[in-house]
Amino acid sequence: MLEVKDLRVRVEDKEILKGISLSVGKGEVHAIMGPNGSGKSTLAGVLAGRDGYEITGGSATFKGEDLLDKDPEIRAREGIFLAFQYPVEIPGVSNMYFLRTALNAIRTHRGQEELDAVEFIALVKDRMKKLKMDDAMLKRAVNEGFSGGEKKRNEIFQMAVLEPQLAILDETDSGLDIDALKLVSEGVNSMRSPDRSIIVVTHYQRLLDYIVPDKVHVLAHGQIVKSGDKGLALELEKKGYGWVDDLASGLATA
Amino acid sequence: MAVQQQNTAAFVESFATLKRSEPTWLADRRRLAIERFSLLGIPTTHDEEYKYTSLKSISGQTWTPSAAGSVETPDVDYAGEEAARIVFVDGKFFSAAGDTLLGARLTSGLANVEGHLTRYADFESHALTALNTAFFADGALVELPEKAIVEKPIHIVWVSTGEAGIVSHPRTLILAGRNSQASVIESFVSLADGAAWTNPVTEIIAEENARIEHFQVQQQGSEAIHTGVVQGLTERSGYISTISLSFGARLARNDVRVKLNGEGAECALDGLYVVNGKQHVDHHTVIDHASPNCNSHQLYKGVLDGESRGVFNGKILVRRDAQKTDAIQNNKNLLLSPKAEIDTKPQLEIDANDVRCTHGATIGQLDAEALFYLQARGIGAAQARHLLTYAFAADLLERVKVQPLRDHFEHVLMRTLSEDPNAEETH
Repeated sequence: MLEVKDLRVRVEDKEILKGISLSVGKGEVHAIMGPNGSGKSTLAGVLAGRDGYEITGGSATFKGEDLLDKDPEIRAREGIFLAFQYPVEIPGVSNMYFLRTALNAIRTHRGQEELDAVEFIALVKDRMKKLKMDDAMLKRAVNEGFSGGEKKRNEIFQMAVLEPQLAILDETDSGLDIDALKLVSEGVNSMRSPDRSIIVVTHYQRLLDYIVPDKVHVLAHGQIVKSGDKGLALELEKKGYGWVDDLASGLATA
Repeated sequence: MAVQQQNTAAFVESFATLKRSEPTWLADRRRLAIERFSLLGIPTTHDEEYKYTSLKSISGQTWTPSAAGSVETPDVDYAGEEAARIVFVDGKFFSAAGDTLLGARLTSGLANVEGHLTRYADFESHALTALNTAFFADGALVELPEKAIVEKPIHIVWVSTGEAGIVSHPRTLILAGRNSQASVIESFVSLADGAAWTNPVTEIIAEENARIEHFQVQQQGSEAIHTGVVQGLTERSGYISTISLSFGARLARNDVRVKLNGEGAECALDGLYVVNGKQHVDHHTVIDHASPNCNSHQLYKGVLDGESRGVFNGKILVRRDAQKTDAIQNNKNLLLSPKAEIDTKPQLEIDANDVRCTHGATIGQLDAEALFYLQARGIGAAQARHLLTYAFAADLLERVKVQPLRDHFEHVLMRTLSEDPNAEETH
């Protein structure tokens, strides 16, 4: 599904990603963990097509095609979804209009017919019910006046409507109370399928109690310093990110 | 300067040749007005009030009134069902429909308006008002008797033939008796794109408890010059709102002035200007808080693209007795092109000590993170820009309470913005 090879990325004069390689197969759930400043969000942003990054080396392919030359909307239409760490408020644009425009852009790209208003409402109501969200939210402006938890839930709701093939969740768990965390995790778990891959980017092991990953990667100083199964997350929790720094300096001197 | 003097002299000479049969009081007012104009002349950019708006395109040539005959009026059926419609072509009466008492010819109603007409809009110091006062040919009179509630809008349509060198001076008087209520739409449209000049003056008087919602809808031709004045006056607990929708004309200058002249009076001045190319649009507002416990709200929003230029100047006067004044002023601008420009300035003159006056101005571009957010959901870059721009501007239209008018302008806005050349796909 996703192949990242020796990816190097600079932001202004600073090298943030220093040769990342990552292979995410169909249906797999990968967790990327790391301390602040390790490059987690940069990796998520680069894959989704955020502006402001200079790619200085390496490659990333999605379903066998080069990803990095594509505009963000093309990546989205081809099946990539980024759940934002800080979802953006868009006054004046209703959730309903926003989501229907997005869904129909994606459907058109895939050669599917656009959904009419009735079909669309039926779809979103079903997804909202699963996430225990209030219908009234559809008429509100995108994320405007939403609490932190509501914004994150809205991201997962959008994901449930847009049905991506690769979802990248950028610190979706940060700032959530335990109830919201459970709801979000249930939403994500309900979307696990043999055809869909998920990358969970997180600072905390806590989320992985609810979304159990197939693989865990530890990112530090722009490099993946260790990969393993879900046991790695628990080990990391015990030993703390100081341990990661030791691993990273080991890599640097090796 | 020589050119301008010539232009002023031409107006004065033209005035001397006018033959009109009208009441002495009006003839006297007109004579005073042309005298004032001959001293003032067309303002230049040395005049602080016109610092950013050059009227050279007016002062640099001689203007003649139109000899307009019959024309086909353009489609202005956007207000839904109307209580009355009165149409003028190049300032001259053309047709009337509906309740002709509500939308009457000013020249037929002169007998009753001596105490009002030309009494509010200041021609002593405002040159263009003086010119209008001296020259207006006909006009619209909206007279609401006490307690008259008019549910459907009254529509005054000012058609410009759009012939270069033609000037018209539309004149409107709205007299809202005690406890009356109505919506009045003034539409300014052109039949052709020539450099015609429209110089309207509207006086609105809301007596005790009266409510007037007024709209200035300006969609004139691409070379048109529009210099409009709206002067409102509210008495105790009166309410005037005026919304300026300024989309057309090459040069548009709108002076909007309201005097809150009775306790508990309120006014709302709003505007939306959407300009492109070399368009220039200027709103100058003055709210005179002359009595205690009055509120005023202002929100002007602008979308400027191409090499267009915008000006907003909002003056709030709070007189010494006007305690408990609550005045809010906001001007928000979206610049879609690096060559677009806006000059925005609040001016507060406060002589009372127990008041709340707030003002704010913003100038910005589309939010890059919001654009990325939309794109990351599959929405194309051009559509994302369009959506964000539309959302910014449509927010102002929510203040338009006449639903069909609002619906119509949501479409106009959608269309105007999609003609935006910057909205092309860039990849």
